[in-house]
Amino acid sequence: MNDSEQAPIIPEEGEVGFVEYQDFVSKETFKFVSGGNLPELTLRYETYGHLNAAKDNAILICHALSGDHHCAGVHGIEERKQGWWNFMVGPGKPIDTTRYFVICSNVLGGCQGSTGPGSINPETGKAYQLDFPKLTVQDMVKAQSLLVDHFGIDRLHAVMGGSMGGMQTVQWAIDFPDRVGRYIALACGARHTAQAIAFNDTGRQAIISDPAWQQGSYDPEHGPDQGLAVARMMAHITYLSDVGMESKFGRKRRNADESKEHFDVEFEVESYLRYQGASFVSRFDANSYLYLTKALDRFDLHSPESLDDTLSAVTAPGLVVGFTSDWLYPPQGNREIVESLLRLGKHATYAELAMDFGHDSFLVRAPRLYELIHRFLIR
Amino acid sequence: MSPNDKKRQADSQIIARWVHEGDRVLDLGCGRGILLEYLQQKKSIYGVGVDIDLGKILSCVKRGVPAYQGDIGAILATFPDDSFDHVILSRTVEQLEDADSILAEGLRVGRHVTVGFVNKGFWINRLNALFHGNRTVNEVYPKPWYESMPSNPFSVAEFEAFCDARKIVIENRAYLSGDWRNECRKLPNLLAGYAIYDLSSID
Repeated sequence: MNDSEQAPIIPEEGEVGFVEYQDFVSKETFKFVSGGNLPELTLRYETYGHLNAAKDNAILICHALSGDHHCAGVHGIEERKQGWWNFMVGPGKPIDTTRYFVICSNVLGGCQGSTGPGSINPETGKAYQLDFPKLTVQDMVKAQSLLVDHFGIDRLHAVMGGSMGGMQTVQWAIDFPDRVGRYIALACGARHTAQAIAFNDTGRQAIISDPAWQQGSYDPEHGPDQGLAVARMMAHITYLSDVGMESKFGRKRRNADESKEHFDVEFEVESYLRYQGASFVSRFDANSYLYLTKALDRFDLHSPESLDDTLSAVTAPGLVVGFTSDWLYPPQGNREIVESLLRLGKHATYAELAMDFGHDSFLVRAPRLYELIHRFLIR
Repeated sequence: MSPNDKKRQADSQIIARWVHEGDRVLDLGCGRGILLEYLQQKKSIYGVGVDIDLGKILSCVKRGVPAYQGDIGAILATFPDDSFDHVILSRTVEQLEDADSILAEGLRVGRHVTVGFVNKGFWINRLNALFHGNRTVNEVYPKPWYESMPSNPFSVAEFEAFCDARKIVIENRAYLSGDWRNECRKLPNLLAGYAIYDLSSID
C-alpha cells in the first residue's frame, strides 16, 4: 500500500556547549534493599536546559554500566570527546534542551563522583571497598529519586536510558509510578540471560584473580589494572556485533610486517581492544565494576513475583527499543517487557531497529532512533 | 483527507459500529494506526497495534497509539484467552502465510474477530482478470506486483465457506460496493468491492 508519510521536520540542531558537573549531597542515612546503609550519599550530576516554573519539563537520563553523568557537551576547550549521548541531547535534538530540563547523574555505586565502593566512609575515614552494601538497581533508582526531590520535581516528564540505564528506567516506572510521565528503555531486558551472567562473572574473575585486587582492599593507585582491563576488553566484545567488528576491523593488521614479538599487537582489533582496556582502567574503579555487574546480574523482574505481577505497578506510557544485532540484551528480552505490559493492558510500544552495532547501537546516531525518541517525548 | 485516504478508511465507520465504548482492541497489521486512533477518539477504546514494519510503528508513536513491532503469530501466542474484546485484521488476512491458524488464535485471544478484505470475486476484478489477466492495481494498491507484499486474495464466497467449515459464527457482516462507501445489498460475491465481518467462535 502507498503509505508514505512525511518525515518530521526537526529544527536545526545546536550544541549544549560547555557544561559543569555538580554534587548533590544527602546527609541522611541511605538504606539499601539488602538492609545495609550509608551514613550519607553524594551523587554527581549534570543538567542541561532550564527547569520551568511548573517543574514539569524534566527528563532523567540513566547511564549504562561504564557510562557516567556527562552525557552531553564538553567540560572545557581541551576536551575533545563530547558527552556519551551528545547527538541525542541538545537544542533541536530529540531530547531538546530548549524544551526540556535534562538531568543525568552518576549512578550509586559508581566511581565518577557518586558514592561507591571507592568513596571514603565518613565513619571510619577509610574507603568502603567491600564494606559497601550489596547494591541493586532499585537502590540506584532510589538514590536518583533523592536528587529529583532536591530539584523540587514531583513528576518527571520522562525517564530514559539504555542497557543498565534501561533497567533503571523500567525500575523507575515500577517503583515511582506517580513520578514518571513516560519512559523509554533501550537495549535492556527483564533480567540477564545465563550468557550475560557468564560474561559478567568471567570479567569479575579476571579482577578477583589479579593479585593486586587484595580481597578488594587495594590502594587506589595500585589497583587490579590487569584484571580490570581484561574484564573491559571482554565486555566490550559483547557490546559490539560480529558483523560490526568485521566491517570495522576485519583482519586488518596494525603493521604491514609481521610483529617481531610473537604475541605483540598484530591485528587492528587487538590494538583497539587493548586501548579500550587501558583507557578504562584510568577512569574506572575495579570494586565499582564488581558491584555494578553483580547488581545487573541480580536484576530480575520475574522475581520474587511473576513479570506480570512486577510490572502491574506501572502506569506511565512506555517505549522499549530492541536492536537486532544486540546479542548481550537480545530483542527477545526487550520484547518480553512490552508483551507483559500489553497483557496488563498498559500503554506500551515495542520498536526494533535493524542496526549492525550490537548492544551499543543505542549509542549510535541513526535517523530512525532519532525520530522514535523525538516523537515519543513530544506526545 | 484525500479521496484515497477516505476510501482506504472505508471500514473504520463500520468497525466502529461493532465496537463498544471502552473496549479492548488489538489491531493486527495496524499500519499507521489510523483505525485505532479513530476508535480511540470515537469509542475511548484501549487499543494496541501490531505491525512488522518500523516505519508504521513510528507513525503509531506519532499518533499516540501503542504498537508492537513484530510477528502477528508470536504476539498472539503471548496473550491469554479473551484478552481483547476485538481482534481486528483489516486488509491483513490476505498477506498472512497461515491465515487459518492466525484466525483461530485471534478467536482465542479476542471475543470477536473483525476481518475486512477486498473481494476477489467483485465483477470488475473478474473482468480485469478475464480481459487483461493482470493483478488488480487501484488507488489503495497502487504498486505493481514486483513492489508489493505477497498477497493471497480471496472472495466473499470463499471466506464464508471457510467460516462455515471452521464453525466460525458470523455475528455481523457488511458489504460495500465498488466505491467502498455505499453498502451493497445483493449478490455480494459479485457486486461487493469490499467485505467486513464480525466473527466469534461457538462457546
